[in-house]
Amino acid sequence: MNGSRHLSRIALALLAATSGAAVADQTTPVQGIHDKTPTLVALQNATIYTEPGKRIEHATLVVENGKIKAINSNNRAPQGARVIDASGQVIYPGFIDPYGNYGVPQAEQPERGGYRSKPPLYNNKREGGNASNDAIHAQSNWVDSFAADKDAAQSYIAQGFTAVQSAQLDGILQGRAVTVSLADKIPNDLVYRAQSKQFASFDKGSSMQQYPSSLMGSIALLRQALSDANWYEQAAGKQAYNGPVEYNAALAALTDIEEVGVVFQVDDELSLLRADQLLDEFKVPVTYVASGFEYARVDAVKATQANLIVPLNFPAAPAVTGVDDDLDVDLADLRHWERAPGNPAALAQAGIDFSLTLSQLEDKSQFWPNLRKAVKHGLSEQQALAALTTVPARIAGISDKAGKLAPGYMADFVVASDNLFNGGEVMSVWLQGQQQTLKSSEQAHFAGTYQVQVDGQSYRLNISGDEQRLQGQLNDDNAIRHVSRDDDSLSFVADLNDTGAWRFKLSQSAQQQLSGTAVAPDGRELQVSATRTTDDTEASEQTTAQADVNYVSRLTYPNVAYGLSGLPERQNLLIKNATVWTSAESGILENTDILIRDGEFSRIGQDLSAPSGYQVIDAQGKHVTPGIIDEHSHIAISQGVNEGSEAITAEVRIGDVVNPDDIHIYRSLAGGTTMAQLLHGSANPIGGQAQVIKLRWGTDAATMKFDAAPGSIKFALGENVKQSNWGENYTVRYPQTRMGVQTIMRDGFQTALEYQRRQQQYDDMSRSERQRTAPPRRDYRLDTLLEILNKQRFVHAHSYVQSEILMLIRLAEEFGFTLTTFTHILEGYKVADEMAAHGASGSTFADWWAYKFEVYDAIPQNACLMQQNGVLTSVNSDSNDLQRRLNTEAAKSVRYCGMSPADALKMVTINPAKQLKIDQYVGSIEAGKQADFVIWDENPLTSYAHVEQTWINARKFFDRQQDIAERQAVYDEKQQLIQKVLAAGESAKQGAQNGYKAPQPTWHCDTEHDFWLDHFSEQHHQHLHAGGGQH
Amino acid sequence: MKRLLTALTAVAVAATVHAHDMVPGEPQTQAILLQGGTLHTVANGTLENTDLLFEQGKITAIGDAIEVPSDARVIDVSGQHVYPGIIAMDTVLGLVEIEAVRATRDTDEVGPVHPEVSGHVAYNPDSEVIPTVRYNGITHAQVVPQGDLIMGRSSLMKTDGWTWVDASEQTNLGIHVSWPNTAISDAWWERRSPEEQRKAQAEARQRLQQVFVDAKAYYEAKQADKSIAKDIRWEAMTGLFDGSEKLYVHADDKRQIEQALAFAREYGFQLVIVGGRDAWRIIEPLRAAQVPVVYGAPYGLPSRDDESYDQAFRAPSQLIQAGVQVAIAIPGYWDIRNLPFAAGNTVAFGLDKEAALRAITLTPAEIMGVADRLGSLEVGKQASLIISQGDVMSQLGQDLSHMFINGAEVDLNNRHKQLYEKYKQK
Repeated sequence: MNGSRHLSRIALALLAATSGAAVADQTTPVQGIHDKTPTLVALQNATIYTEPGKRIEHATLVVENGKIKAINSNNRAPQGARVIDASGQVIYPGFIDPYGNYGVPQAEQPERGGYRSKPPLYNNKREGGNASNDAIHAQSNWVDSFAADKDAAQSYIAQGFTAVQSAQLDGILQGRAVTVSLADKIPNDLVYRAQSKQFASFDKGSSMQQYPSSLMGSIALLRQALSDANWYEQAAGKQAYNGPVEYNAALAALTDIEEVGVVFQVDDELSLLRADQLLDEFKVPVTYVASGFEYARVDAVKATQANLIVPLNFPAAPAVTGVDDDLDVDLADLRHWERAPGNPAALAQAGIDFSLTLSQLEDKSQFWPNLRKAVKHGLSEQQALAALTTVPARIAGISDKAGKLAPGYMADFVVASDNLFNGGEVMSVWLQGQQQTLKSSEQAHFAGTYQVQVDGQSYRLNISGDEQRLQGQLNDDNAIRHVSRDDDSLSFVADLNDTGAWRFKLSQSAQQQLSGTAVAPDGRELQVSATRTTDDTEASEQTTAQADVNYVSRLTYPNVAYGLSGLPERQNLLIKNATVWTSAESGILENTDILIRDGEFSRIGQDLSAPSGYQVIDAQGKHVTPGIIDEHSHIAISQGVNEGSEAITAEVRIGDVVNPDDIHIYRSLAGGTTMAQLLHGSANPIGGQAQVIKLRWGTDAATMKFDAAPGSIKFALGENVKQSNWGENYTVRYPQTRMGVQTIMRDGFQTALEYQRRQQQYDDMSRSERQRTAPPRRDYRLDTLLEILNKQRFVHAHSYVQSEILMLIRLAEEFGFTLTTFTHILEGYKVADEMAAHGASGSTFADWWAYKFEVYDAIPQNACLMQQNGVLTSVNSDSNDLQRRLNTEAAKSVRYCGMSPADALKMVTINPAKQLKIDQYVGSIEAGKQADFVIWDENPLTSYAHVEQTWINARKFFDRQQDIAERQAVYDEKQQLIQKVLAAGESAKQGAQNGYKAPQPTWHCDTEHDFWLDHFSEQHHQHLHAGGGQH
Repeated sequence: MKRLLTALTAVAVAATVHAHDMVPGEPQTQAILLQGGTLHTVANGTLENTDLLFEQGKITAIGDAIEVPSDARVIDVSGQHVYPGIIAMDTVLGLVEIEAVRATRDTDEVGPVHPEVSGHVAYNPDSEVIPTVRYNGITHAQVVPQGDLIMGRSSLMKTDGWTWVDASEQTNLGIHVSWPNTAISDAWWERRSPEEQRKAQAEARQRLQQVFVDAKAYYEAKQADKSIAKDIRWEAMTGLFDGSEKLYVHADDKRQIEQALAFAREYGFQLVIVGGRDAWRIIEPLRAAQVPVVYGAPYGLPSRDDESYDQAFRAPSQLIQAGVQVAIAIPGYWDIRNLPFAAGNTVAFGLDKEAALRAITLTPAEIMGVADRLGSLEVGKQASLIISQGDVMSQLGQDLSHMFINGAEVDLNNRHKQLYEKYKQK
């Protein structure tokens, strides 16, 4: 094996100069002499993988005119073929990358300037029937600007790739990719599939438009675009209510998206699931460009049934060598460092079809080392080869011509020195029958120990080091000098027997044999021969080939500190002798028992006995309350709480971006909170749709959503929506006054009603009328406004001052609906009677004030006054800190205005449940309600109380004793992982520098920034009160 | 613009109408006996059903059989609780009225180095915020200029007074330094690499060092020659070098605190750590160096994802039980009224009630060098005290019937009560 390997390298080196002739261009006039060099080539005596799992030994691969002519297992070459001895070599189909930006111009990144340093852009430049949003350019056909790029191709070819599916990776709908060969020819010969898949992402990329500024905005925009495409398919050429249906190139390009399919790039596994839900709704077939975190939720990823394109950007280990470095390193990152190389294996074991990609790899030369690492982590060679050949061929739509070695397929293949997944190297890559010899494989391999014969004497020569920087000794202690090499010869100077300096030049002449010339100190030229006795590199490669994987990290849900190993079990329970705050008619009951069965409260009374199989909790001296419910929360939201770009963004949905990984879910459980309404921020008058969740830590976004809650939406009034504190550049969006807040809302509702009327008119049309008439375009924004007017969606309005409160009440009455809750409502006490008369409830801060002008009249007696005037009143948090201690926030009404303790607790239990219209399920301890409850060590309205246990649907999601044990487990696991990083030494530093999830910021109501532009207001804003943020 | 100004002025005038309703307390002339209360002396435990007499602003007797001057005003406080006034450290009270309105902010001077500014100078005794804060028992607040490096000098202010002059309890307590960052952030808005962050941090530390080199050179030059030209920046720092003032270092991260400890040791400064989120990680060095901590995160979220949910809540208990001197603070202005509740919250996480009370009364007085007159109910100390119907640290108990600062009775009315009373009538 060794010998043939060295020989074949020489053979290849010789061949490099005479590699296969080009196939002539077919339509280009020939200048000068026609090239008619024969192209028939046979690679003989190779091991050939024709496709994953199919191996032929001693086979001959016959190539002609850029295609594979035959694969002969009898090892015979056709007559007239140029024969290449490929003995001992392994031939694979050329690798295909289904996601890249090769040969297509990159997007220009516009100059954005500093945070809010430029006036905002709301509308884009219209040209050529483009979409109204610059992030949507589905009509782009990237084949139109494709040309070979020799340098860029080289980074692919060096890893064995021969084809790539390519597009400009910019925007939400990026246009149709083109699948091309990486050969160096005119584009006409390279295009394997001119119109390949549509590429997409959630990132608006180079678009300077304000909308969308958040992940939920991107999702909403994509939803509208896909819906528009369906509409356009039916409407094009017909008459719309306000003229003929427009020409829209982007929508026209999307009409066959159900057949074309998309390649969708996502930031993490949560966004993969988000995209899947949306694309599934529109029956768009999809392949995801994964993030490398899929192992953390592999079952959910599997359930999408989608194919993946997986990067191998395994991260460098977090820095932990310094004594305090661990302060900046989270357990979650250490876990990911350990398990990232196992992601491909985890996907394969789950039965998910996936391709690999070079994209997202900062250093492309790490591809093979990383892939071998993935193999060590359990990815089989066959799966790995499929991920490089057949699967990407399918994704890129070229299964009929590439991804396998078979007659008629393109002559795209990789010649390797040995099994690539176990130490072999790519020696040459053939693209359309043209050989590209890789530099490394042209070089003879010199490291090793030789017996050298010169001038009748014998010496031992040891050559070691990197092949590019060799060094050596003669007879062990006599260092050789001036060592240099070229592809096939080695030169050096050595002192022999004190005679002086000898000059040597050696070349490989046979297996294990070097020969050449030596010049003696006296000028004589003498023949030299050297016989290799041992080979350095073989030994080192063998040591890297074996490793087994033992993970010291745990895999939890979510995969962060304090994650759970699974959903806590539902239990039947008897709680004995507690002080029970029922938040119901019965008030506060001393020495009371609660029987919990099948997830619900079943009996509340005294001296209850436990049926067999029930767990009994002795709660003597303890207090039990309903689970706390927060009307106003911004935890558990990914990538933007505000779609603060346009004045009305009713189409965006917090429900699209629920983040089950947010540690604040767990921290809030530790403060007794079991439910929260996740609200859109307050940057625009009509913001996005809200999402009510149960804080089921350890589950997924879908499980956390409380489906029984009716739809709700955030409105906002006052300073935030008129952009009072956004700087001088932000003065162009309507509205800039409280007057305009009213009129833009009125205009929105009016338009929604007209939209509804048009829909009804269309429904009533005759068949012939419909043939001329475009169906009304579905408008998700107006749909949402109609839901409000039709009392299917309920309004929670951020509001402060009495004028705007009354304005909104009057406006709602004008349009015939009732406002559900005024949230914040710090001047609610001034108009409590009007609120009560309208039927609106109020959800207030306990004591916040003075942080901006519109809260200068806020008072901590607000809740009392509202309640006394008959307003259903709750206390909310709007803060991941306060959400942990809403009990004592409610207690402030006892302090400031003498509310009864029972009523105070209701403000964070049954009252918010009523405001969310879920009080038939939760909010009080009454028979038949869901068993969401909290056990406290003390009266929960005092500072002195802490939570002992928090239960949701009779499942225990928080237990202080378990938490105390878990702290130690987190600590221990972290130490073990740090040890593992330290033990890995320098190798731990290799890997991607951007391979970890960036922490999400703390969202506040007015955390208004463009997520996609990386600007973030809180970094520019110092807060003078401990809570931080504004509201 | 002019119209806007007029409008703002009109609002300001309307607002101050209420403020003038709260007249500062008159200096004590008549002896006052608090009869039969539960005295939380802080210095000498809790005394049930005990009388307390104060005259001319000073506590003159505590006990059962006090000789009471015949003209004394007797207040029956039986069933009520008497505490020393609560002292809020690390605040911007009186420097900010409405945070989002720039015209009402007087917290940050230009540039990173401004030791010459002093908090009391801009303290607005007519701030509407102040009466709402004393309503919850806060009689004194340390007012701290803000900034990125050398912040200025803080002063201890009474929460009642006609002017900042008569509201001043002790001016120029010490120099406040915001210690340069030491943590490496991987947040997505942090675009600098770890190396770039470290470089910026090193530059900030270098700048800080240079300030002290210059200030010390000035101090020494002045020792040699009193007539040298006065640099008002370094002049303001001389109290550090002669030992009359303390160095308050605002530092949360373990590395910041360690660097501050080494720095103060090098110069021989009396150090106070302000913030101190990570102080629990280096208890022994703090205890050994006898460096007090003004703990600013009693309601804090964990500093790091891997920390336990209650880490910020229980840090004061960990520190105090190990022998570190800890004051509990809420950095802020309007929200500092929650300080007694925040102290109560540390009780839920391991501290005993007396220690929690001490951390908002006597310990702050000790750190600021005013324990000879404030912080506890002891004969000879100022009659700066509060009387509450119930436990002042519990939302269910706190209900102040009286507040005295230096013997002067303080009006507990405030903007919030006034608006409450007004709208009750609607």
